Amino acid sequence: MVAIEDIRTRARELLEGGKVRAVLGFRRSSAGLLAEPTFVTELNDVASLVWDATCVHNLALYLVNEKKRQKAERNPDTRPLAVIAKGCDSRAINVLLQENHIARDEVVVLGVSCEGGGVIDVRKLADVLRGKEATAAAYEGLGSVKVTTASGEATLAASDVLADRCLECATAYPSVSDVLFGEKVDERGFSSRFAATKAVAAMTEEERSAFWDGHFERCIRCYACRAVCPMCYCDECVVDSTSFIVGPTTTAEEKANRIRWIQRSTTPADNAMYHMVRAMHLAGRCVDCAECERVCPVNIPLRLLNTSLESEALEMFEYTPGTDPAQPSLISSFRDGDPNDFVR
Amino acid sequence: MSEVLEAPVQAKKEAQEFEPKIVAFLCKWCSSAGSDLAGVSRLQYPPNAVPIQVMCSGSVSPLYILSAFNKGADGVLVSGCHPGDCHYLKGNFFARRRIYLVQKLLKFIGLESDRFRMSWVSAAEGTKYAQVVADFVKDIKALGPQRKLKAKN
Repeated sequence: MVAIEDIRTRARELLEGGKVRAVLGFRRSSAGLLAEPTFVTELNDVASLVWDATCVHNLALYLVNEKKRQKAERNPDTRPLAVIAKGCDSRAINVLLQENHIARDEVVVLGVSCEGGGVIDVRKLADVLRGKEATAAAYEGLGSVKVTTASGEATLAASDVLADRCLECATAYPSVSDVLFGEKVDERGFSSRFAATKAVAAMTEEERSAFWDGHFERCIRCYACRAVCPMCYCDECVVDSTSFIVGPTTTAEEKANRIRWIQRSTTPADNAMYHMVRAMHLAGRCVDCAECERVCPVNIPLRLLNTSLESEALEMFEYTPGTDPAQPSLISSFRDGDPNDFVR
Repeated sequence: MSEVLEAPVQAKKEAQEFEPKIVAFLCKWCSSAGSDLAGVSRLQYPPNAVPIQVMCSGSVSPLYILSAFNKGADGVLVSGCHPGDCHYLKGNFFARRRIYLVQKLLKFIGLESDRFRMSWVSAAEGTKYAQVVADFVKDIKALGPQRKLKAKN
């Protein structure tokens, strides 16, 4: 198991030496079970860092947000940012490095291996606990999680409460790190990779169509999936069209004729458009951190869209996102042996 | 008596027969010239495909394809030069990979896989273009109108 004291010691060292401007990690939240992301800048706050099965957020998002914030600052602190990264977070960092969004010397990666475990899915946990509210959760050896509720403690099987992505995860250890905490464990034996996607792909066409219609119908276009995604860092998104400036001289005709690729109305067809465009933009970039699915207020299984393309990329193009920052991206490369049979 | 009554009904039925709208993204250097050749050779093929000339099949963004479906297309065809013949040397290889992913995504979402097609048509293959469009129209007529991705307005 990863000892939190090791992480704290290393964080303290980095902050004391002034090598980093902040350590990005997790601390206990004032509300709810899940830990919350925190920027530790003071030595006194290092003791608040935690590491357990409730650290679900993908901290790579804050590297992106911080980058955006720094751009607007007059005298930005250019020291690197230390970040605590799980396997999926580190893959996201790798993709950001691959796309030159951040430079390697801008970030100190404190990699933490999930070892045999993963993070908790609060929806699954709520189902298992049947309405009782969990206040703490911790691993009790491999394969079981001890959950504390107001009315006592319960030991649950890890496979019942871990997030789907963790059950299917093939590399639950950092693929990029300056310091690694914990062991790299390859054998996990929860579920096979892409199991959830394969189940949907195995449906008939009508079933699949109905399945997604039912889900897209609920979408309220809150764009939480976009806001939480570390890969959705574009300044302008195709669904916003903020570059169309309406001034006093803009005629009604210009307004009427401006290009709207995707309507903002929440009809099932337009929602499907939005989610498909997002899936296409994430093809070969999505590292399956499943944050989109977690933050979705209407429980759309968004992860499936991205993993379906990820599985295609792996099977047909032998491409795994986030493994190597030096590899060319999926969409901007090709091989002679790419599938050609589908072309007439 | 009944013949007199049924004749106009029959005529109306035929007039209402579903005619698919197909948006065809044709690369300027090969497929567009190929469709021109089909025209000047006076080949008979269905008029359902609306050609949109693009500079390269590699320049067709997935968004164009999805948008065409959203605006009411019953089928979308992307056509470019044969592999190795691209005017920009490798544009169609990029297109092949990207279109493959779009096709898989459309299939995953539950759209009939016959509604979206890619073809290689060179500037000399007027007959092939006519054949590709004829086949496409035939397949889409069997499927009926596309409603899944069409915006309601």
